Formats: sequence, structure tokens, C-alpha cells
Amino acid sequence: MSRIVVVTSGKGGVGKTTTSAAFATGLAMRGYKTAVIDFDVGLRNLDLIMGCERRVVYDFVNVINGEASLKQALIRDKHTENLHVLPASQTRDKDALTQEGVGRVMDGLRDDGFDFIVCDSPAGIERGAHMAMYFADDAVVVTNPEVSSVRDSDRILGLLQSKTQKAEQGGNVREHLLITRYSPTRVASGEMLGMEDILEILAVPLIGVVPESQSVLQASNSGTPVILDKTSDAGQAYDDFVRRFLGETVPHRFLEVEKKGFLKRLFG
Amino acid sequence: MSADVVEIKGEMTLVSVLQLASPDVAKVRQGLQQKRDSVPQLFVNSPLVVDCSSLGDACQRLDFQALREAIVDLGFIPVGIRNIPDACQEQAVLAGWAMLRPVRQSAIPRTGRPAVQEPVTAGKSIEVIERPVRSGQQVYFPDGDIVVLQHTSAGSEILAGGSVHVYGSLRGRVLAGIHGDTSARIFCQKLEAELVAIAGNYRLLDEIETDLKGQPAMVWLEGEKLRIAPMF
Repeated sequence: MSRIVVVTSGKGGVGKTTTSAAFATGLAMRGYKTAVIDFDVGLRNLDLIMGCERRVVYDFVNVINGEASLKQALIRDKHTENLHVLPASQTRDKDALTQEGVGRVMDGLRDDGFDFIVCDSPAGIERGAHMAMYFADDAVVVTNPEVSSVRDSDRILGLLQSKTQKAEQGGNVREHLLITRYSPTRVASGEMLGMEDILEILAVPLIGVVPESQSVLQASNSGTPVILDKTSDAGQAYDDFVRRFLGETVPHRFLEVEKKGFLKRLFG
Repeated sequence: MSADVVEIKGEMTLVSVLQLASPDVAKVRQGLQQKRDSVPQLFVNSPLVVDCSSLGDACQRLDFQALREAIVDLGFIPVGIRNIPDACQEQAVLAGWAMLRPVRQSAIPRTGRPAVQEPVTAGKSIEVIERPVRSGQQVYFPDGDIVVLQHTSAGSEILAGGSVHVYGSLRGRVLAGIHGDTSARIFCQKLEAELVAIAGNYRLLDEIETDLKGQPAMVWLEGEKLRIAPMF
């Protein structure tokens, strides 16, 4: 049985696509057959982050409209086995996403034996975001440690409770909170909200904290999901997050200000 | 036997009264629409009594049929009309209006046409919310108290006919006694609300000088002034 996971946030630029790419890669690395779908029709980015933009022939909207089969549109990821990308269309808008069409794609992926379907939601609370979350079993809510992002995530959590198929059937979408771009130094100096403050406001189980890191930008630019960079703190944090999602107990890291050693203090 | 099936009682019920100041139905409609749109949830299918006491003789120029249609059109349920000159009564009845006796007497329709379309409450007097009330969500319960077992977020709204109890942080807007119950109160574990209101008397918490912000507190109405005090 496939598990559909939406990666959402409300606010833009908090790291949804980076997270979707890392998350899907992490699941696939562990042997799960995984599909990651870009719901940001008109502003497609996921293919860039996954480094497959030059291999896009057919896209999500083509499949919805019956102009291509799922098989034709799914792009096999070149880094990781078991991972397939369904890119968004760049020349259409979000109205092309119909509930019935999206439902058919989900059914198709289920029939193809995918273990996980990761839905990369666009920013906002309109059609694209609604369609991305509608069929979800789980939601990873991505939040940055600042007030507007936290407020928008709160709004999204409200919508998850009312605008999803699960909610309409009287159930609940499982909620997970992922804090990204966390900088312990700036939290300590009071520039950013601390983890405890965010949890206080949102009251959702924390599944991971990804530190602010240069490696994320480098990974995006080179089209390799950051989780593949085992030496970077962000890559390790994403790996921890995937393990927790799969049920392992992993302690949280990267929450404290790094203590500089004697040499580091001398030489910066 | 039939006595078991139905029972007619003379009862007092709280009903909104539309006080007409003009016989011009178009103007009345416009004014009513503005009122409705300001709090749409409050007025959906809400019963309405029309009072013509301020119209006096201008009542002659009132189109009862159009008035009724305008009210229905805006989503209200016209229950009856009162305080109209005898000369107009027949017209009003023909337009389907129930005649209500002037105020101070029992407000039961006099004509045979039953106008009992008030929302039936199945005896439920409390609404318990077990999950956090998130930004953008609204909890509306006109028939009694609302109890929230968790927090309410900034940007949320709680609207209760009675009192509101929040067993967590209260961060959004909270309106108690929305139908005019001045005895309604607001209780919370941590007072961080944006706005508190009881029976239409509202205050922004930022405007209130109180050291109870972030503390367990209770809000109630004393005369027309909102008071805040610690609970313990």
C-alpha cells in the first residue's frame, strides 16, 4: 500500500522543494520505491534540484490530461535507484490540476507498486497547495524559525484538518514538523525563534531540524539532493529526518551553538 | 395520542429585530446586506422580526412583498412583522407576513400562518474542541459555551453564544455572548489574545493595561466595561 506524503508550508522559500528532493532520495536509498511529484505547475523547480531538467519530455499535466502515460512521464533519477520524478509543467497554470486527474495519477502510482509518493506542494493556500495535500496520508510541514513562516504553517495545519480527503472521511492526516534553515547562533542572539517557541505555537510533533547550511545552495546549484552530501550537516540532518519518518528513534542534532575548539578560535 | 406528537407552548425566544427607518426596500436591503456581510456566519438562516414602529405613516409606501423577498434573498428567515398601522395589515398578511403583537406582550404570531422556522437545537449547549484552533480557522457555536482543550492560534476566531473556555494559550480573537448575553465570560490558561469581546463590547488586548498577559485569566463584563482578573 502506498503512503502519500505532502511536503508543505504555506510560505514560499522555506525549503519545501529541497526537502522533497532530500526526503524522496532518502526513502529510495533505503530501498523503497518512491515517486516525487512537483505540484508547482507554472514554476517548476523540483527537476532542477533533482538535476533532471534536461530529461523532461512529458509532465504531470500531460498525464492528468491523458496526453501521456505515467510511464512516459516519470523520470528515473540518475543518482538513486527506485526513485522517480514526475515534473510539473512550466507552460500551464494550477487550474490544470483537477481533483479527479490528480486522483487518477495517485491511483496509477499505487497500481505501479510505489511505496511512497512525495508531493512537493507550491507555496500559498490556493489550488496547487490544496491539490498537493488533498490525497495525503502524512504531511511534513516545513517551517523556518521566523514568525511569518510559523504563522503560515499554522494556517496550513488548519487546512490539513479540513481540506483533505482524510478529513472529509472523518480521519486525520498525520502531521510532522520539520524546521529548516535553523541557525543556533542566531537563535542564541535572539534574532530567530527558538525550537521550543515554534513547538509551543504549532503543537505538532517535531520530526527534524535542518541547520542553515552553505551545502544546501551548492547542492541545489549542482542538481544533487543535499542528502547525498554525507559530509554536510544539512545532509546528515535530512538523513536523520528520513530515519525518524521510517520509525527509528534518532536524537536531534544541530540544536546547540557549536563550541569552537582552541585552534579554530585562533585561526577562525 | 396526538398530544404526544406535538405540543404548543408559549415561549420567549431571542430573535433579531430589523428596525425599519425607511420604506424604501432597496435601501433596506442594502443596509441589511452590509450588516450580514460583516458577520456572515452569525446570520445564516437567522430568524428575523421586522419592526415598523419608526416608520409611522410611511408604512403605506412599504412594499411588503418585496421586503419579504429581499430578506429571504439575503439568507434570513422572516418570522413576522409588528407595529404597523391597521390600514396596512391586510397588505402585509397578503404578502405572507405573520402579524406579531407589539413588544412587551408575548411574541407569538397572531395569525394562523405558523412562522416557527427557528433553528432547532437538539439540546446541545456546549461545543468541545479537542484540537488546536489554527490560524484562519473559526469555531462558531451560537447555542452555548465553547471549550477548547488545546491552544488557539493568532489569526483564529472563536464565536460563542455563551462563554468560552480555553485550556491552553489563547492567542486569536475570542467573542463570547455574541447574541447579547452580557453574563458570558472568557476563561483561559494563558491570555495572549488579539481581541476579546463580550456581548459586542470588544477590546484589543494591546490596548489594555494589564500584567495578566501570558497568565491564567478571566474576562467578564461589568456594565459596559470589560474586566480582566487572574483566575487563581
